[in-house]
Amino acid sequence: MATSDQAVRPSPPAPVSRQDGRSPWGRRYRKYLVPWLFALPILLINVVVVIGPSLSAIYYSLTDWSGIGAGEFIGLENYRRILFQDMNYRRAFLNNIAWLSFFLTVPFAVSLFAASMLARIRRGSMFFRTALFIPYVLPAVITASIWRNLLSPTLGIGALLSDWGIPGLDVAWLGRPQTALLSIAFVDNWHFWGFLMVLFLSAMQGIPPELYEAARIDGASRWQEFRHITVPGIRPTIVFMLLMVAIWSFLVFDYVWILTQGGPAGSSEVLGTLVYKEAFMRFEAGYASAIGLTMSFLAGLIISLFLYLRRRGWEI
Amino acid sequence: MKTAVPRTIFVFVILSLVLAACAPATAPAPAGEAGAAAPIKLTHWIGVGTGGSQQAECVIANVIEPYNEMTEGVTVETVLQSNVWEAMRTAVAGGGGPDIVTTPGPSFVYEMAKSGQLLPLSDYADQLGWADTFAPWALSLGLVDGELYSVPHELETLILYYNKTVFEENGWPPPATFDEMVALSEQIADAGIIPFAHTNGEWRAANEWFVGEFLNHVAGPDNVYLALIGQKPWTDPEFVEAIDHLTDMQLKGWFMGGLDRYYTGTDDERRVMLGDGVAAMTIEGTWALDNMSNYFGEAAGNANEWDIIPVPSVTGEDIYDLGIGSTYSINAASPNPDAAADFLTYYFSPESQATLLVECGVAPAPVTLTEEQLTGLDPRFAKAFAGLTQASDEGNYGYTTWTFWPPKSDVYIYEEIEKVWAGQITSEQYLQGLQDLFQQELEAGDIPPIPEREVSS
Repeated sequence: MATSDQAVRPSPPAPVSRQDGRSPWGRRYRKYLVPWLFALPILLINVVVVIGPSLSAIYYSLTDWSGIGAGEFIGLENYRRILFQDMNYRRAFLNNIAWLSFFLTVPFAVSLFAASMLARIRRGSMFFRTALFIPYVLPAVITASIWRNLLSPTLGIGALLSDWGIPGLDVAWLGRPQTALLSIAFVDNWHFWGFLMVLFLSAMQGIPPELYEAARIDGASRWQEFRHITVPGIRPTIVFMLLMVAIWSFLVFDYVWILTQGGPAGSSEVLGTLVYKEAFMRFEAGYASAIGLTMSFLAGLIISLFLYLRRRGWEI
Repeated sequence: MKTAVPRTIFVFVILSLVLAACAPATAPAPAGEAGAAAPIKLTHWIGVGTGGSQQAECVIANVIEPYNEMTEGVTVETVLQSNVWEAMRTAVAGGGGPDIVTTPGPSFVYEMAKSGQLLPLSDYADQLGWADTFAPWALSLGLVDGELYSVPHELETLILYYNKTVFEENGWPPPATFDEMVALSEQIADAGIIPFAHTNGEWRAANEWFVGEFLNHVAGPDNVYLALIGQKPWTDPEFVEAIDHLTDMQLKGWFMGGLDRYYTGTDDERRVMLGDGVAAMTIEGTWALDNMSNYFGEAAGNANEWDIIPVPSVTGEDIYDLGIGSTYSINAASPNPDAAADFLTYYFSPESQATLLVECGVAPAPVTLTEEQLTGLDPRFAKAFAGLTQASDEGNYGYTTWTFWPPKSDVYIYEEIEKVWAGQITSEQYLQGLQDLFQQELEAGDIPPIPEREVSS
């Protein structure tokens, strides 16, 4: 009968042979080859799905490819057209800048405010978090369709208020060049800010509560607590999300396409919708590749700026 | 030694699996190689629109299945596809795809034919007598460098639908000329009714319906023809006048009650407005004939009726602008081109086309249909298609933008017109932009084939 001590005692390790990874070849094999073999499938997929198309996009941006058949090499003509000729590109680019400005301010302000309020709630906080996060998990086409109806001047909130004797809001928000882009940004933000809030809330929970207690003892106001403890405490999360939102702002497509397709009169055109139109409606896939590369360049520029500031000692 | 061998084997197994996954799949032997008696299977992808698969299933039940029962050794296998054009061109470009290739119109055939993705059909057309089946101009739409690559399907046009009850109650006769239509619109607006239930909220390209109609019906189809073959610039005064008329009507709020409503209204919303008598007329394609009745009568909660007339022209002549909703070709990679050609002969026979129209509401190809074949069809359908067929047979027709304009010019037409309506550019500047782009496409040879026309002096 084995004692309990014997039962838990691990069996002695098997003797290790020289061929079992201890020889110079075996060590090298284990250290260098095996990890690569495990990474090989995903690397191959990346070559096929990412690197291959990226390199071909660079090539096609130098051609007049229609998207079907072969394209003719035209050098930098597509880039010359982007820089000096295409007013639609210029307009779409400016709309992307406006979109970037909106998304670097409004959702951050709203979600920081909401997260700092929710961080103090103990009872029912999960309900609020879930309720505010739900729009983020809804598919874009559903969210956009709901808001298209809500913003309709004949069926939406404005029409309802007008029926109740509150006129002035039964406006076709998506049908006016002055308000179309802002309305789409509002809808996209409605879906997005809950996600941002949950991230900030998680980051805030990592801040030691003693810091807040000490501040309160010193007589700090709520605003001072937020400014001097909360924001510095979650700064890496804020900066990372600023970086991501800046990149995403140049890739926006879905909400614009579903709600206005860039109209009316080009007032909500963004680079993403312009690429789609050039490639699949005007059959200028070569030119669309060139526009797509300028979008990648802009994203690269933002990442480079981020890395540069970090190297200069910014705590981001 | 104990574990090194299994580990090495494991690594090599993984490596072999990865390499095996990267290896090309064994190509299936073409049906013809399997022996003369081997059954032939033709693949045909049918598009499923937002309205669901009902129409596609009707096509299969009424036309495809009878063919399969009728023929020995040949089976047409249908696959229902959403986004069928995107799926089709991707598959065909990769050397695959179905035997029967469909596109959304003649202008889409050009690049595919140039790239060798489609089979030349001229010999089949001669052998199987397609020229006797189709309208005289129809096969010329499928020519690329003098060789036939596609046959047109789904002949369509734009017509004026109107609320007959509202017209009768107000004593308004349907307009016979363009000027009468403008004068009537004024009266309708004065009566507090929206003259036209038009929107582009769900289909932005709907702008081109109106641009095309106004170019053909104000400037005239002869002028449009001359411009399409490059003998007349789009900047000529008659075209400017057409765009000015359209802009004027749009800015008066005659389309849906205002420009912002035009941009945001849905198709359902505008048809309800027409049915309920909130709006009086709408210019829309023959594709809407099939479900227009859903918005009128008891079931729709009103006591109204609808009718159609050709969109009035300046001269008062009935002008039907020809449109082709899709084309049929044979995949160059098809292992059974002869069987595919036989199927196309059957599919485009007047009998099959009449069945598609009467039973499934599919617009027919430009083939001659007899009155007998159209028995049971709603008289309004019959009127529209009779007028269209007559116009096409006599060569007295207009040109829809999505069929006869090259792709870049077509997109320009419906995208940039909004800048005219927004006051960002003038009609002249809009047409100058069209002229510049059209000229580039003309020089590049990208213009879809334009059937020859006798232009009246």
